[in-house]
Amino acid sequence: MRKKWASFVLVIAFIMAFSVLSACGSNDEKSSDQPKQESTASADGTGKSDETPSATTEAADPFGKYAETLTVKEVLGYGPPEDPKTPSGLTPDQNAYIKDLKDKLNIDLKYMWTVPSDQYEQKFSLTVASGDLPDIMDVDIRNFEKFKSQGVLADLTEAYEKYASPTLRKFMESDGGQAMKSLSQDGKLYGIPGFEEPFLSTQIMWIRSDWLKNVNMEAPKTIDELEKVAEAFTSGDPDKNGKKDTYGLAISKAIISWGFDTRGLFNGHNSYPGGWIKGSDGKLAAGEIQPETKTALERLQGWYKKGILDKEFALKDDNKVVEDIVGSKVGIVYGEWWYSNWPLNLNRDKDANADWIAVQIPGIDGKPGKSLVPRVRMGHIVTVNSKFSNPEAAIKMINFYIDKNSKAYYDTNKPENGYVYNWFVPRIYNPVEMETIYTEVNKALESKQDQVSEDVPYFINVQKPLDAAKKFLAGDKSGWGLYMSRVSPDGGWGVTRKIRDNKDYVYNEFYGTATETMVEKGAQLDKMLGETFTKIVMGAPISEFDKFVDSWKALGGDDITNEVNDWYQKNAVK
Amino acid sequence: MVYKASLGRKVFTFVNVLFLVAITLLGILPFVHLLSVSLSSNVAAMAAEVKLWPVGFTFEAYHYLGKKVEFLRSLGVSVERVVLGTIINMVLTVLAAYPLSKSNEQFRFRTLYVWFFAITMFFGGGLIPTYIVIKETALLNSIWALILPGALNVWNMVMLLNFFRNIPKDMEEAATIDGASQWSILWRIYLPVSLPALATILLFMMVGHWNSWFDGILYMNSPEKYPLQSYLSTLVTSINKKAISLDDLNALENVSEKTLRTAQIFLGALPIMLVYPFLQKYFIKGITVGSVKE
Amino acid sequence: MKGNAIQRRKMRWEFPFHMMLLPGVLVTLVYAYGPMFGIVMAFQKFDPVLSFWKSKFVGWKNFRYIFHLPEFNQVLWNTVLISVLKIGFGLLVPLLLALLLNELTKNGLKRIVQTSIFLPFFLSWTVLGGVLLELFMLKGPINSLLSGVGVEPIMFMGDGNWFRAIIVGSDVWKGMGYNMIIFLAAIVGINSSLYEAAEVDGAGKWKQMIHITLPGMAPIIILMATLSLGNILNAGFDQILILYNPIVYEHADVIDTFVYRLGIFSQQYAPAAAIGLFKSAISLGLVGFSYFLAYRFSNYRIF
Repeated sequence: MRKKWASFVLVIAFIMAFSVLSACGSNDEKSSDQPKQESTASADGTGKSDETPSATTEAADPFGKYAETLTVKEVLGYGPPEDPKTPSGLTPDQNAYIKDLKDKLNIDLKYMWTVPSDQYEQKFSLTVASGDLPDIMDVDIRNFEKFKSQGVLADLTEAYEKYASPTLRKFMESDGGQAMKSLSQDGKLYGIPGFEEPFLSTQIMWIRSDWLKNVNMEAPKTIDELEKVAEAFTSGDPDKNGKKDTYGLAISKAIISWGFDTRGLFNGHNSYPGGWIKGSDGKLAAGEIQPETKTALERLQGWYKKGILDKEFALKDDNKVVEDIVGSKVGIVYGEWWYSNWPLNLNRDKDANADWIAVQIPGIDGKPGKSLVPRVRMGHIVTVNSKFSNPEAAIKMINFYIDKNSKAYYDTNKPENGYVYNWFVPRIYNPVEMETIYTEVNKALESKQDQVSEDVPYFINVQKPLDAAKKFLAGDKSGWGLYMSRVSPDGGWGVTRKIRDNKDYVYNEFYGTATETMVEKGAQLDKMLGETFTKIVMGAPISEFDKFVDSWKALGGDDITNEVNDWYQKNAVK
Repeated sequence: MVYKASLGRKVFTFVNVLFLVAITLLGILPFVHLLSVSLSSNVAAMAAEVKLWPVGFTFEAYHYLGKKVEFLRSLGVSVERVVLGTIINMVLTVLAAYPLSKSNEQFRFRTLYVWFFAITMFFGGGLIPTYIVIKETALLNSIWALILPGALNVWNMVMLLNFFRNIPKDMEEAATIDGASQWSILWRIYLPVSLPALATILLFMMVGHWNSWFDGILYMNSPEKYPLQSYLSTLVTSINKKAISLDDLNALENVSEKTLRTAQIFLGALPIMLVYPFLQKYFIKGITVGSVKE
Repeated sequence: MKGNAIQRRKMRWEFPFHMMLLPGVLVTLVYAYGPMFGIVMAFQKFDPVLSFWKSKFVGWKNFRYIFHLPEFNQVLWNTVLISVLKIGFGLLVPLLLALLLNELTKNGLKRIVQTSIFLPFFLSWTVLGGVLLELFMLKGPINSLLSGVGVEPIMFMGDGNWFRAIIVGSDVWKGMGYNMIIFLAAIVGINSSLYEAAEVDGAGKWKQMIHITLPGMAPIIILMATLSLGNILNAGFDQILILYNPIVYEHADVIDTFVYRLGIFSQQYAPAAAIGLFKSAISLGLVGFSYFLAYRFSNYRIF
């Protein structure tokens, strides 16, 4: 027995010795690495003096070519090329954008790695932890804040001032410079915001108009009307096949999610779960614990009982809900402006009778519903590693990408020529792109032109809907998805912008990064919400809601509320 | 072998066959379903109308796949990985299992070694440190990153050593007296009589290499080096967040067709399934251990 | 003097053993022990930017955080219950199948059965999840069958107990081919002369199974049982994540899904590492315990 222990101890000693060794080993590696990096940095630092003159001479040129090849290291969250016309077997390194970048700016873009987008965050943190950051990084707001506080990010103020192309400037000024200001600290700009119009998140309702006709009803304006329509869709045989095989409203097991969820219905009840709404006392309050939420839940409970909701909605993820929509099993779904281009178009492919229209969400008290809209919609931020010698390269690359998508390259910049847009970083889009598309395309349609204005940024994105709209209006059904989402006044964006102009929305006032208690307790609160709400809808006593509110507050909700209000005091755009 | 079956025996055999056939169906049906989906039209697949027979029959998915370089390329990587990985696994496992199957008297350090290996079944450093070690040993982005870290699977080794122990000792003793070295005892006596066990772990190793996808994604830096299963995992877009960006939307609107995805999943499982029948005879026919005296 | 000579002979005798182990030891040392420095993460307030060298040490705080989460006990209980059922049935069913399959006399049928039992192992839970959901829907085939014999439709996936049963059942089904092969290999490894002798003694098939086959398989059965104990806190991550839903959280949330939610919500690496360490310690304890039990009572070393 003693011998066994002895060997056991030996093993442990072995392990410890080795771990220490390996730690030292990698430390050594680090220290031998560091000077190298510093030396390149200092070389660039000294080099800067003789490089800056040349840089200043070309300071005015946002597209100035480097005299010596500049290598830029990046990482890429990768999705397969989306266009089936992309040459088979193309790899991200062979992306035509990268070749052009080398030709035009003499920048050699090297991907340290590419990884499927699902795994991006994980691999990115592996890279960060193993100590080699890329030169130019496209990060989310959470990593941005973290990096900023660790001093990892380069100051881009000067680079932006000198090198930003007119189009990029126009993009950044489209919101009055708000987004950029939110990324600045002490007058230093730490990132180029990839922001979008917040109204893209507006909840609207999509409804089968052919079914409406079949049951002789109008598109609902209030929740009560909606209930009647949904009942008719459930038991009035809206598809006229003589079978009771349809139901009213499609929702998935995720109560609050990115789509096919119940946000729109809650919003119609003036309830805003997941949002922080300014109360009459000027303080922010969480939407999920307000009495309006209870009313909405009661309504959903009634609908579940009547069969308006799928009996098994709680088991279905978004894929399953999409199957029901495509399979003509359901006639109403809450969501955003883009549904017509996916998945409603698939339903039309499947079922020749199918037709969908977009309407503002129904509300209570005879008024239309007001959707929750974020104050800021910032998906990603382009940042530069402070150790990188040429921060202006990031700005130039953004210029390059925007320029590559202008009218001038319309004929060459095509997937079949090896241009894969989602394999190029950094990309900054036109923040008001949807509005640009809408107005430009409608203008062209009115004046019967075949082309949208030449100088519009991201020409392809605007021209494509115009082509689709022309096709659709000429009787070709395949253009419906794009036309209905982006062009039609009664389509997704058409309805959304009306809501925007009528100010029929409510702002989610909190847009900071997760607070300390959110990080610690958020996952549990989320789970509790999903669990309680689902059970209530499926028939649990409504008093469960009050219990939920109490536990929510006790289990961290109150702390979160305080933290959010502290944040609001300091940061909010009032 | 003449054997008179009793009535009870006949009934048992009948029920047994019936039961096993039912189990067989349970195993096959999912594949029939997959095959049917891959041979259906995309809208029928998206509307979940396909059960066990194609709806709107078409070969389009397979036709398209035939031209898809990505699929074939990653298939090549997978084959390379399985061949290299299995050989190395096998050598290391056999070499480690043999000495450890000896008794403590025959090999004094046995217990020390065994626990040295066993500990790793329970404790691991986690993702980040493993990544760092792989990076520091310069394996990143090379196929060795998928092979070396798991080159000795302790679980398989422990299983093999248990099989080795069951080998009757008299042959070995005779050989030792004749002056045979340990290497030749392993090679000439242990391996030939352990074919069923070797076939078992061989199959596990191959399947393990074939099925694993996550390491490919972590350690390979570009998609052209992905093995098949890693590549297949890139085809499924799952959106796991609360708001959807315009880029996500583009991905959704153009997401690869369900039938195409299914066809690739189906084809991805085929090659390894074909390996199995070749190994099967070792599980069915016993190896007669010769010259064993009771 | 003589002792030394013996010692030296012994060393020479053992030398090839060390050589054989060398490659395995090296690989294990580098790739299994090498990363273990990462265990410190469980005791840190880990931040990728600071990595292991500079992240702050916080002692047992991560463990306290995890153990004090209000749902932890429920989650732990779910995990243990589901995995014990999985381990139990996951051993019993393949064992039974291997024995039954061994009774088949037609080799062709034997091969077909064997191959198809193994097939589900090749499908990922992502693929199987959709199929399973479809099977157990209110209007799915299982409920149709049941209504044929007059049973009211059951919402299987929405009922905690049924859900657990499906989780366990489908896992056993998916993995049974794998374990069955090990058992088959064990059966095949039994010296066939034993059966011949038994037949001469007039023992029937049943008696042969009880007295020859099972005892012959015993070491492998014990080995598999012991090693699976190490999985007692792994109830299956992908499977549950794909199949579960808010109604059955209470019955189906297990350690791994729980950690995953913490992770996606807030990138909490350190608590996840703490849970990992906790799991490792429990597994080692259980396996170690049964190792010594087996050694103590039957003088058999599992490994």
